[in-house]
Amino acid sequence: MLEIAGLIALGLFAGGIAAALGIGGGVIFVPALVVLFGFDQHIAQGTSLAVILPTAIVATVAHTRMKNVKWKLAVPIGLAGIVGAVVGARFALALDADLLRRMFGIFLILLAARMGWRAWKLDGRTETEPDTP
Amino acid sequence: MHAVSSNLVKPIVLGSVAGIVAGLFGVGGGVIVVPGLVLWVGITQSKASGTSAATIVASSAAAMVAFGIGGSVDWRAAALIVLGSVVGAWGGAWLAKHLSERVLAVTFALVLLIAGVRMVM
Repeated sequence: MLEIAGLIALGLFAGGIAAALGIGGGVIFVPALVVLFGFDQHIAQGTSLAVILPTAIVATVAHTRMKNVKWKLAVPIGLAGIVGAVVGARFALALDADLLRRMFGIFLILLAARMGWRAWKLDGRTETEPDTP
Repeated sequence: MHAVSSNLVKPIVLGSVAGIVAGLFGVGGGVIVVPGLVLWVGITQSKASGTSAATIVASSAAAMVAFGIGGSVDWRAAALIVLGSVVGAWGGAWLAKHLSERVLAVTFALVLLIAGVRMVM
């Protein structure tokens, strides 16, 4: 019962942050499932993907209404992404769970560093427009 | 080189790299697509977030099928998290428009750092 409530709460929290930052939420779901719920690394990743899909659909609908989706870019990126995703998933499934978990940890630390750098550069502004040549 | 085909080089490279990361780590790939669109393609952060969300639909579906075939999906846990995250996603899209991006980024970076260190150890 506690686990059921915990998983729903995880979804609520992670889904909100994920949509706000335009990501799928996996960088929150995977570590939360492994560290807080004791999932095997592979199951955590597969489960994360099963959550990301409907979450991303809802986020896409919301962003489309705000006219924030550039479909001319999204379609080719998405199609190339399908091929890459299958290659990456097959590679992950062939790896030892312990090694994959440590690799994921390094991936998270690198992301944290980049997010921190991004926040530092933002300097309080909320939106940066690209320079027009 | 046609204008049309050279316009596709960046999206295809970006999509391939994001897809591999998505499949390898069970994430959506937005962590690659969003900065790629902002820094390399040159669109705004909010347009990049929206476009990224659409590409995640494709890459996460493909990776999910691959993990599902391998028996590595806990469908019951996924359904419970989805219950919460569908509500959370609506709130988040609103949040992105109204809350300082800096506050979001700093909070998120700290959460990632703690989780990352725990997983490496």
